[in-house]
Amino acid sequence: MDYTNEPDCKLPLALIVNMPELKENPFRSRIVESFSEDGMGNLSFNEFVDMFSVLSEMAPRELKAIYAFKIYDFNVDNYLCKEDLEKTLNRLTKEELTPEEVELVCEKAIEEADLDGDNKLSYADFENMITRAPDFLSTFHIRI
Amino acid sequence: MEEHHSVNVTSVLSDASPHSTLSLESCEYYQTEIFDQLPSIQACRPGRSRQGVLGVCEAERGSPQPGEKRSDGHPWTRAPRDKASLQPLRNLAMCIEAKRGARVRRQMEISNIGYWESWRRSQSINRKRVWAQMRGSLSGMLPWKRTLRVIEGRFGVGVKAYFVFLRYLIYLNLLHCALVWGYILGPTTFYGRGNSSKPWRFGSKDSFLQFFNGSSYLNQSPVFYGFYTRGSLNFPCLHTPLLYFAGILTILFLSLAMVVRRMTVGLKHTWLLGKRYSVNVSYKIFRGWDFTIQDPAAGTLKQSFIRNDLKLFLEEQSFSQREAKRTLGQRVRLYLLRFILNVLVVSLLGGAFYLIFFATETSLEECGHGWFVSLFLQYLAPITITFVNLVLPNIFRKISSFEDYSLTTQVNTTIVRSIFLKLASLGIYLYFLFKTTKALEQHQCKENRFGREICKLSIFNFLAMFFKTFLLEFPRKLVQEKYPTSLLARRLGTQSFLITFNVLDLVYSQTVSWVGIYYCPLLPLIGIVTLVATFYIKKFTVLRCCVAEQRMFRATSSSVLFHFMLLLGLLMAAAALGFSLLQEEVTVDKMSSCGPFGNGETLYNVTGVCVDSLPSLAQSVLRYMASEAFAVPLILTEIIILTSYVSRGRVNQRAILRLEDMLVTSSSDKRFLVRQHTTMLRLQRELRRLRSASFREDAAPSVAGKTSRPPPPPPENEAD
Repeated sequence: MDYTNEPDCKLPLALIVNMPELKENPFRSRIVESFSEDGMGNLSFNEFVDMFSVLSEMAPRELKAIYAFKIYDFNVDNYLCKEDLEKTLNRLTKEELTPEEVELVCEKAIEEADLDGDNKLSYADFENMITRAPDFLSTFHIRI
Repeated sequence: MEEHHSVNVTSVLSDASPHSTLSLESCEYYQTEIFDQLPSIQACRPGRSRQGVLGVCEAERGSPQPGEKRSDGHPWTRAPRDKASLQPLRNLAMCIEAKRGARVRRQMEISNIGYWESWRRSQSINRKRVWAQMRGSLSGMLPWKRTLRVIEGRFGVGVKAYFVFLRYLIYLNLLHCALVWGYILGPTTFYGRGNSSKPWRFGSKDSFLQFFNGSSYLNQSPVFYGFYTRGSLNFPCLHTPLLYFAGILTILFLSLAMVVRRMTVGLKHTWLLGKRYSVNVSYKIFRGWDFTIQDPAAGTLKQSFIRNDLKLFLEEQSFSQREAKRTLGQRVRLYLLRFILNVLVVSLLGGAFYLIFFATETSLEECGHGWFVSLFLQYLAPITITFVNLVLPNIFRKISSFEDYSLTTQVNTTIVRSIFLKLASLGIYLYFLFKTTKALEQHQCKENRFGREICKLSIFNFLAMFFKTFLLEFPRKLVQEKYPTSLLARRLGTQSFLITFNVLDLVYSQTVSWVGIYYCPLLPLIGIVTLVATFYIKKFTVLRCCVAEQRMFRATSSSVLFHFMLLLGLLMAAAALGFSLLQEEVTVDKMSSCGPFGNGETLYNVTGVCVDSLPSLAQSVLRYMASEAFAVPLILTEIIILTSYVSRGRVNQRAILRLEDMLVTSSSDKRFLVRQHTTMLRLQRELRRLRSASFREDAAPSVAGKTSRPPPPPPENEAD
């Protein structure tokens, strides 16, 4: 893979998620997929730069919220439905909670954050909830 | 045909009823034709029609890529076009090529707008850049950032919050020092002291032991009240005593303003829309992971934090369920138990207060003992107070575990009891100190005496913490490490950093500093030294002696609690100061003989002289403001303003609730209407198919004798 001769080359997902900055992150494949044009996780150089610029400390809050929403949206339907939440939770806790507990927690989460009553979190609901978190900015960044 | 048609219609209609399954809803909602035409979705795609110059990406959103499953508009680029064009480029949610295109377009626009407008825009951009740089450099100058990062990575956000609070107290004390220098030390240095004051020299009878006793050398040093007398600065309204008092007042007011501001900033994050989000599970899920973690051990720890936090939430849910199921007999027994335990707590508190009273009485008797015994007696009161403050909170913690509350309520009751213990013990000590120092003779400087006792308390607090770390916690950790299977190690167990108790200690020491600042102006300096030393000692404790507690502490709500405790301490200090000043006014014959208000002057005299020297208009205004005729309208105005804010807040809350309901109903209306529309379209298509099929049937002559119309075939079998 030679960047100087072939500037349009794309790095495969498997290579990027082994970076030390991303290796411990349970959402690493989702992060890379949400920045890739083809949705499969293959990043060109520009997309790579985009990814780390959004995840840097200088990126503004709204931008991070947008991409955080994309990352947590596993089935890419612009809504965080219950299955998305369950997958997030399982990745966060390494599947150490029982299924009933997972379901209870996800239901409570949706109940808390859903504003328009459709049992899913749209971007407006997510942003509403995240802007109340004062330290969201400080945890949602990767230093490279 | 009609009954088939009607059967078809009803079956389709029943599918579209509001009780259809969620999955049916979700996959149909986006696939409907009308979805793209909804105004809310249209508003999300402002630049759909404009092609970017480079043609790679669309103007405001990415064009539909082959890999994406949905080509719907992203609901986040909602900003209207003109606002988006003024936002800094880095804020736009676009890929790099799109941002380059936007920059090119903006530069092309510059030729369209006038010179003045482009100059204004570039100025505002530069100003924002300068501000951002300043903020960045200021935050980079904060000390100990790396240490805090390490602690957060290993122990979680709660322990880091403690150290952040400690750093904030250091800043507060630095500010106090600056004010003391400006108001008190500065004038004394430049304008000198009075002629009758004793010079500050190391006398012949002083020795090292006298340092701890605080007698003659320290007594006359600038550390205490007695040093500051009226010097050559002698205007009617600008002289050392008045500046002294003004300095202390400024310090107290500024501290009040800062603490209240920090508290309300924290409050805004915890109170949401009138609903108390004490357990915000969605926040835990989405904000749970720290993306900066690169160490596998830290990652595992974070996962166990999150898991335990969620388990705590689930436990609280099950606790509230259990609580609801309690029978009457169980309830009665529980309340009886709680009553007995509360009586026990009150009696413990009473016993502690009596002990403090006894110690104060004993320590102020000066009899001829040996030097060690007299030293011990002098320090008896601080020793007792520190001992009580060390032992009783742990007892309260054990007691609250028997009372069968939920975990957060347990922690809160322990905190409330401990705060009460610390502040009340300090208050009682101060009260007895007042009483006994008032009984002193005339020529001794009472204020110095008082300041000495407060200094002793403050220093002893620090020494106690130092010895506790190195004589209790560090050996315990050594025993754990060297002899892990011994009985002692097993009995002692591992220790974790108890955040609330440590914060209480900090608040207590800061309260002592505030109480004593009038009598000992250099107390903030002592405070800074002790706080910096505390930081390093606590850092050693945490990193070396403690294991990470498995329960994650809720950081945001706790910062409100910390600042509220600080506020209580400040109020108590202000009350103590006011009380002592008032006492001085009341007992006219017991004038102080030293310090700024010595030589027969009191605060009232001095301010009276100052006011008399002002022009008559100012005098009458000031006299009116100090009289009762002004206080009543002032209080009334405050009440009216408060009531208006509270009622406005309530009205806003009601409006929010109504808006939420409106949002829910209108979005369900929208879904219903979209479904209805889809159903209608489908029906129309079905009808058209049926008609065309029957038309073909009628037109085709060579059908095998079937003149009746065939039943409407299922759509997959259509040959269309």
